[in-house]
Amino acid sequence: MVGALEARGLVFEYAGDDAGPVRALDGVDLRVADGELLVVIGPNGSGKSTLLRCLGGLARPRAGMVALRGRELGAYAGRGRAREIAMVPQYLPALPDVLVAEFVMGGRYAHLGRWSGPAAVDRRAVDLALAAADVSTLRQRLMTELSGGQRQRVLVARALAQEARVFLVDEPTASLDPEHQIHVFQLISRTVAQARAAVVVTHDLNLASQFATRLALMDGGRLVAEGPVGEVLRREVLEPVYGSALHFGTLRQADGSRRPFVLPWAGGQFEDDSPST
Amino acid sequence: MSSLRKPAPGPLFAVLAVALVGVVLVSICFGSEWLGPAVVLRGAAHVAGLGESLGHPLQTIVELRLWRALTAVGVGAALGLSGGLIQGMFRNGLASPSLLGVTGGAGLGAACAILLIGGWAPRGVLEAATGPGGLLIPIFGFVGALGTVGLVALLASTHGRLSVTTLLLVGIAVNMCIAGIFAAIQSLSLVDWDVSRAIMAWTFGTLEDRSAVHAETVWGGLLAAAAVVPFVGHELDLFKGGEEDASALGVSVGRVKVLCLVGAALSASAAVAVAGQIAFVGLVVPHLVRLGCTSRHSALLPLCTVTGALFLLGCDLLQRVLLGEGVLQPGVMMSLVGGPFFIFLLIRHRRELGAW
Repeated sequence: MVGALEARGLVFEYAGDDAGPVRALDGVDLRVADGELLVVIGPNGSGKSTLLRCLGGLARPRAGMVALRGRELGAYAGRGRAREIAMVPQYLPALPDVLVAEFVMGGRYAHLGRWSGPAAVDRRAVDLALAAADVSTLRQRLMTELSGGQRQRVLVARALAQEARVFLVDEPTASLDPEHQIHVFQLISRTVAQARAAVVVTHDLNLASQFATRLALMDGGRLVAEGPVGEVLRREVLEPVYGSALHFGTLRQADGSRRPFVLPWAGGQFEDDSPST
Repeated sequence: MSSLRKPAPGPLFAVLAVALVGVVLVSICFGSEWLGPAVVLRGAAHVAGLGESLGHPLQTIVELRLWRALTAVGVGAALGLSGGLIQGMFRNGLASPSLLGVTGGAGLGAACAILLIGGWAPRGVLEAATGPGGLLIPIFGFVGALGTVGLVALLASTHGRLSVTTLLLVGIAVNMCIAGIFAAIQSLSLVDWDVSRAIMAWTFGTLEDRSAVHAETVWGGLLAAAAVVPFVGHELDLFKGGEEDASALGVSVGRVKVLCLVGAALSASAAVAVAGQIAFVGLVVPHLVRLGCTSRHSALLPLCTVTGALFLLGCDLLQRVLLGEGVLQPGVMMSLVGGPFFIFLLIRHRRELGAW
């Protein structure tokens, strides 16, 4: 596997107050290869989003470096970087007066010429991205008219239109119902299957279990565990980070493999007696 | 509110441009004595180096009116365009060039020039402030405006990066300081009636007795601002999702901000330097375009330019027709017309504006 994006010894500090700077990343090493869907989990404030911003070149680390396909990220100009890395932000302001099709065309910025408008190849990329994210019917709708789930899929569609080979996705399912949560992860998973790499930040341990090819657990700005799903989603690994209100089980998938699941459940005796386990 | 029901930007631009040419022509024809369009066109052709002079005094009259109209077009266009650039950069419809200290700085520069002139030619100071002769005042106004924006940008940048919020706050603070100095100059110059009157007259703005130099100055600033439009139009649309989002899409955010700032500062500084303080054009015109047509900057910015020109020259022509020549200065007129008009717009479009 080719190393698509690699972080070495990342340290990032926010300005903070009189007490001095706040260290959000404290020496993080991370590597994601083409065909991999790396899911980053961790409690609030553990540095997941900051890590994603550093990986995308939007925040400059105080120490350490990020390499994109073996070359330092800083060596890429804005457009060059955007042709390689697409980001799906957790939050965007309301975008009144912007049509879905226009918004998704924004993903083509890095491919457009300065003096020419969108060409056939750009319109085709937008069409394909809209279709892949299952939002083709929304193309003439205003961004402000979309439901949370539609909006999230349109955000993913814009990243697809960017035709980058690395995807950095920040909490794509935070406000979605279960069906749409699965849709969005399936979409990212299908994309990764086309020899692309993705780093997805999420709080949902079960979606992580279902879709991740590898898991990274962050706590206090450090990477405390990394590896296959079964190695990370274990009581010994998660309890020190999330506390003891977690219950663990496994689900057998259609192909016979078993995947762990984690249920946050406060207090009481927990017994899983569902027939599927 | 769907953008689909609004007119397409291209045809609208063409209609406004044709209307502007018409208003320019009528504005030159109209005056103490009505001149036929044919006479005006012949006189204008002579200025452009084609055809014979109309002879004295007709040629002089046409030329005076021509420079006045071209200055007004340039000032309106420059203020409209700089308003569009500033509001796009700030992602805020309440922003205007004066927020960056353009108006205050020009006022301070002009007041300094008036004090200088008043020192050695007290009798001619009022004429210098409002008439054709005083080039010192536009030059000082331009330097004052540009210098103030430069100071605001310098104070607002940390490690070469410009934060829009800091820019806004520093702009407000610097404006306060400048307003204080300006008030002090006004108060100290009260003892000299000529100087005090000249400063006050400048603040009302003027389009009277503008010469070729005035028109060239403001058109120079306008062209400089127009030159940045192809490099920021599409980019400002991507700013709507925030600077970080734009950066992730490949936009060089810092470069776009600097270009917007330089373009807006040059055009607005040139405008206030030659015509004094003219309120509301920079603030209202981008709203007119957004509400009436589009919020896409590659179309909005050219539309702001032509709408600003039409707005200023149209209002000026209207008040000349209704009230007579030289009754209301353009700065006063724009405040009187622009203020209520803006309130009307806000009331009518409260819901749409709330989300911008």
